[in-house]
Amino acid sequence: MTDELTVMMLTWEFPPRIIGGISPHVYNLSRNLAKNGTKVYVVTCDFPGAPQHEVVDGVEIFRIDSYKNPSPDFATWVYLMNVNMQKEAAALVNSLGGKVDVFHTHDWLVANAGIGLKHVFRKPLLVTMHSTEIGRRNGIHFDYERMIHETEAWLTYEAWKVICCSNYMVSHVQWAFGLPTDKLVMIPNGVDAEAYAKVENSDLSSFRSKFALPEEKIVLFVGRLVYEKGVQVLVNAITKVLEKVNAKFVIVGNGYMKEQLSSIIKGLGLSHKVLFTGFVDDETLRKLQKCADVSVVPSLFEPFGIVALEAMAAKSPVVVSDTGGLSEIVEHGVTGVKVYVNNPESLAWGITKVLLDENYANLIRTNAYKKVQEKYDWNKIAQQTKAIYEAVLKDYSKSSWA
Amino acid sequence: MQVTIFSWEYPPRIVGQLAEHVRELAMQLVKNDVETFVVTYHDYLTGQYEEPEGVKVYRVTNPVRTHIGVLTWVLTLNQEVERAATNIYYNVDKRLNVIDVHDWHFIPAAVTLKKALGVPFVFSVESLEEHRSHGANSPFNMAIKSIEWLGMYEAAKLVVKSEWMRDEVYRLYKVPLEKVNIIPSKSTHWMRNILENYKSVSGGALSK
Repeated sequence: MTDELTVMMLTWEFPPRIIGGISPHVYNLSRNLAKNGTKVYVVTCDFPGAPQHEVVDGVEIFRIDSYKNPSPDFATWVYLMNVNMQKEAAALVNSLGGKVDVFHTHDWLVANAGIGLKHVFRKPLLVTMHSTEIGRRNGIHFDYERMIHETEAWLTYEAWKVICCSNYMVSHVQWAFGLPTDKLVMIPNGVDAEAYAKVENSDLSSFRSKFALPEEKIVLFVGRLVYEKGVQVLVNAITKVLEKVNAKFVIVGNGYMKEQLSSIIKGLGLSHKVLFTGFVDDETLRKLQKCADVSVVPSLFEPFGIVALEAMAAKSPVVVSDTGGLSEIVEHGVTGVKVYVNNPESLAWGITKVLLDENYANLIRTNAYKKVQEKYDWNKIAQQTKAIYEAVLKDYSKSSWA
Repeated sequence: MQVTIFSWEYPPRIVGQLAEHVRELAMQLVKNDVETFVVTYHDYLTGQYEEPEGVKVYRVTNPVRTHIGVLTWVLTLNQEVERAATNIYYNVDKRLNVIDVHDWHFIPAAVTLKKALGVPFVFSVESLEEHRSHGANSPFNMAIKSIEWLGMYEAAKLVVKSEWMRDEVYRLYKVPLEKVNIIPSKSTHWMRNILENYKSVSGGALSK
């Protein structure tokens, strides 16, 4: 038996189950931790076709029954799923002879399981807060939202350290839950630049022709079609962009706003200029990002903004709203274009600026790619994370639980 | 012998019949030289109290104050039950023999403690969701039933108070009959049967 540092990640999504940004985050963090000599177990929800147990890139993955009985609502499903997750994770830790050094949770979706495991095994708990309810909903308005907000507060209270992916999120989380400053750590999110470098450039033009005419510039949006992602701001900017440039707007992702947006576009007579692709696989997404003449991230609330980083890795120029984590990722006029939040005129200005000035577009795409390699490399991020685990374990060794 | 009882009601918090029944059980256990702990819920009285009758009661409160129903309330309270029960486990040098869970509320905690620490549990069935909800099968009722099922599946033994309840447990959850003990409360050999039942499932001197 080695003294290898062992971490158990709890996450409600892990590839091939992909709902939002947590899934690729935990995947990349886990495999880079494994590369850096950390033993990583991932306990996550099951997914059709994915095995219950497998080893991927040195990471051991366990998929649990994610509670398929009908639940009254999403939050209740989450709490019920946590009953199963906690039970299975407890059995797993027990079978390992208790040899897990830290539990690392991601968002409130696995709060109960993480908190319970902390206490029954008396090991430190960490959390990465990718988002908050108060941020997603722009305030707390109903008991349902308050319950989730309080669950997040409970999780951050129980955690030894709270990791956030941007300085913006550090101050947001500190404000939302009244946490002491020394409990918060900023470790940026990363992007897998190699995966983009691997995409074959040779067949991109035939791939591109499936989405746009040769004379059309591609304006790409990637994200859930929900209010906070600001896809409606983009839709309201379409007419203004088309006054100056011939473009095709490719919208990737699903969400409750899809039908409403489609009908607005139909009403404007612009159905031929907008393509809703729905959810696409990783390879298609990467190719699309490489083909995009501009990638837009018009979010109203954005804790980090991984999509902007992906576009930068794909060498697609980015136009982002000046908010949250996006403000930190993009330096205006250097690594991208920042526009006013929730402002279609400003967004249209940013898009047309990039599409009409090729030198400018090339400048920002080159700078952005450099920035990605310097700061958002998963290997460096895993090393920073491991250093946090080690610091926590050093503190822990002096505690009454050790 | 060390026994920990989980019950969502215990005096002075009385919701139904369970509170008085559990107190009587705890007191009788103490009289029979069983070191008895109770983990229960209370909003205002929290922490550990040594009750006059020698029962050590841990009252936990819910860290999440706002809820949309009893189900979410129960599910976020379970981790506090786990925390209290783990403290008991370490305070008795890991010699906790058995956990006795009354009704469905703290089944998730009992299951986790069994998986994590190897402490077996008895599921004492006072009432079932099928009867409480008069056969309703909304997602809410089904979720509670799924927790009852989990408890019956993972429990070392079930204790019911009547033959009727044993038959209902069998009818609804197909629990093997030999897993179910009928022990009517305050019957002649009540305590003897309770103790024998605990001993039959006891983890004994668990090494973990």
